[in-house]
Amino acid sequence: MASKPVLTPKLIVRALLIGAVVIALTVLPAFIDSYTLRIATGALMWAGLACAWNIVGGYAGYISFGHSAFFGIGAYTTAILMQSNIGASFFVTLLPAIILSIAVAVAIGGPTMRLRGAYFAIATWAFAEMLLQLATVLDFTGGTAGLSLPAYLNEFFFYYTMLIASAASFIGVWLLIERSRFGFRIKALRDDEPAAESLGIRTNLVKVQSFALSAAITALFGSIYAYWTTYIDPYSVMGPEITDQMVVMVLLGGLGTVWGPALGGVLLWITNRYIWSTFGDTVIYLPILGVIIALVVLFLPNGLISLIVGRQRGKELISRILGKL
Amino acid sequence: MSSASHKAESPEYPPLAIESVSKHFGGITAVDDVSLSADAGEVVGVIGPNGSGKSTLFSLAAGGQKPDTGKIRLQGIDVTGWPTWKIARTGISRTFQIPSLFLNMTVRDNLLAAAVEGDWKRARERMESTLEMLEISHVVDNLASELSGGQQKLVEFGRVCVRDPKVILLDEVTAGVHPNIRQIILDAIQRLRKTGITFLVIEHDMEMVKEICDRLMVMDQGKVVAEGDFDTIASDSKVQQAYLGRT
Repeated sequence: MASKPVLTPKLIVRALLIGAVVIALTVLPAFIDSYTLRIATGALMWAGLACAWNIVGGYAGYISFGHSAFFGIGAYTTAILMQSNIGASFFVTLLPAIILSIAVAVAIGGPTMRLRGAYFAIATWAFAEMLLQLATVLDFTGGTAGLSLPAYLNEFFFYYTMLIASAASFIGVWLLIERSRFGFRIKALRDDEPAAESLGIRTNLVKVQSFALSAAITALFGSIYAYWTTYIDPYSVMGPEITDQMVVMVLLGGLGTVWGPALGGVLLWITNRYIWSTFGDTVIYLPILGVIIALVVLFLPNGLISLIVGRQRGKELISRILGKL
Repeated sequence: MSSASHKAESPEYPPLAIESVSKHFGGITAVDDVSLSADAGEVVGVIGPNGSGKSTLFSLAAGGQKPDTGKIRLQGIDVTGWPTWKIARTGISRTFQIPSLFLNMTVRDNLLAAAVEGDWKRARERMESTLEMLEISHVVDNLASELSGGQQKLVEFGRVCVRDPKVILLDEVTAGVHPNIRQIILDAIQRLRKTGITFLVIEHDMEMVKEICDRLMVMDQGKVVAEGDFDTIASDSKVQQAYLGRT
């Protein structure tokens, strides 16, 4: 297909902005202390996770409450393969984690993505809860005691690993969804599935593909997280609040947009850490999440990104997706 | 344009053949033993009172519903029971009674989305020619949700055209639109039929039916009650009783 004219002023400004952000993120560790670096590493992780959830929730329009399962699959795959009896190196564990998450996503997404609205959300939630409970009783997951991983106490390594993974996720999603046929397919099925089918789009296949892609990215971050924290247990990597945060971050930043989830992820994570450092725990964080959801849906349905980008997408989008619940 | 098998595709087969198709919903017979064959470049009107089974017949032909009995053939290929997406890829395309646009996408993206399963390299070129034909270039960057009802009808019709299909099913495509938009659609149908595209048109606008349809099929309570050209149909007592007499 013929491409649009390149190097318009808008594109140049956008490229300069992205370049500035990339440079800033690259040199950031040189100017911050270790504590702040950990917060920045977490922010990158949550931005990537929000980006991953946005593929299926924002672009395909299917609200998944089961993404914590994929985060856990990634974390446990890495943790198990790095145990002393196997002794795999960290990078070797990433591929099996991604492949396993894709296989599970296809197995679960195949039947459940034929469900619509609340039924899909409930099915994914039940699936995640099932895996969580399994992880608490299985031997190879360490049960409720969890698993320890070999410690690698290099904060710079994890910052840059998260940065690369996050950047790769956003670039991949941008190329795949904003610049390819797949993007038209997925957005078409979100807006009107029967109409998309009438155009020859095999919607069931596209839905499963989007679920698998989303699961793979989520698992990747789960793997890195496990190595970063050096210890995991079922609730730390499969707890429902992991998915809850992903959902709220995307809603806050901008559902179905490229950069909105990054914005939402970074802002909410910084808020989370601020509350933790100020009040000593994050119990108060949960009601804050609830209030944010309500406020965003009521007053900023296109998310914070709409304040920056300006362009309002259809008002129908958030009601169309959330209305399915 | 299709990834589906076209082994049987040949000029000797009509682009669309509906053979003794029936469809029941519980105790209601929506379509009752209906047959129809349309040649390349032909415009066939399907008329009848509300609830007569016209839209159900379209759904059966396009794959939205599966017939209980009978066959649907496209270019001689038996597509009965195929999923909608697969039937669409054999070259059939439809509009809906209520426009089913992708409301959160621009007009440009709506049209490009229609081309994703076809010749993608020519998608932009076909989109531009469709925009020009339907005179909607000025709204190309508007969201579909921002369009008027008439413009939405045009974009949905445009989406069908971009696919470069062999058979187009139009379900009340001019209902409630401004006369200028109605004329744009009529001109486009006349232009496209000359390229060999077959049209099946559900309409209540008798002036339009008279102007563009080569022949008509009248349905009432799921059955075909009359077939023929406009004048024949207009003077048919069964039709007058079932449809025209109620106007």
